[in-house]
Amino acid sequence: MISELLAVVLVVSACLAVYLDEAIYSVASLACVFTLTAILYASAGAIFVAVFQLAVGAGTLAVLFLSAEMLSEKTSRRKTLRSVLPVVAVASLLSLPSVFLSVEVAPANVSSGVSFGQALWDLRAVDVVLQGLVMVTVAVGTAIVLHKREEGEG
Amino acid sequence: MDYVILSVTLLSIGVYGLLTRRNLLKMLVSVELIATAASMNFVLLTPSLNRALGETLLILAFSTDTCVTAVVLGVLVVVSREYETCDIGKLTELEGKDDGKKAKGDR
Repeated sequence: MISELLAVVLVVSACLAVYLDEAIYSVASLACVFTLTAILYASAGAIFVAVFQLAVGAGTLAVLFLSAEMLSEKTSRRKTLRSVLPVVAVASLLSLPSVFLSVEVAPANVSSGVSFGQALWDLRAVDVVLQGLVMVTVAVGTAIVLHKREEGEG
Repeated sequence: MDYVILSVTLLSIGVYGLLTRRNLLKMLVSVELIATAASMNFVLLTPSLNRALGETLLILAFSTDTCVTAVVLGVLVVVSREYETCDIGKLTELEGKDDGKKAKGDR
């Protein structure tokens, strides 16, 4: 029952994140989506992923909040509660299939005797190292783009 | 409750937002929704495969997603400072004008 309720609120938050004009409210709805997703993961037994989702979500959202505050144009038109209510109703309807319908997933014949640590550091060690390289490259590239832009202004 | 249908619903909302919103920041929010929908499939289908391996792949996917967000946000900041707008329609209009300015400058 709780997971069904979470699913409905998740879909409503996702719809509001797309629908609301104000970037700050939109990002706040996205925060709600991330939090509910993490709770759903935890309830499905994926604790590591839930914690990771919360950590990554917190970082992403902090940056998104700052960007939204910095970049959003101040508009006078705001969505009223009356205009938001139909969206909430439609989103609730959209969430009903996930509550009442089901899709059969055929089990695969893959052995499950591998622990999370083994899977991460033994089976996917190369991927982890490459991810680190990608992240460093991205960080340096973004810093260079922003730095060159500031030099161009100065 | 079925997580696959929930994931498809989230994906549809994200695609709708990506196609209809004109603000770059809102488009990024839509992309985040699409990424969340994709990662939900990883988590919730892994019990039928190998859970540990699925979670590992998901964590790697999260990292990639965060990198993409960082790059897009960097580009967004540069674009908004350069053109003083985040509206993709206005940016498309500016594209031709900017080329014209550059051509005049070259002359």
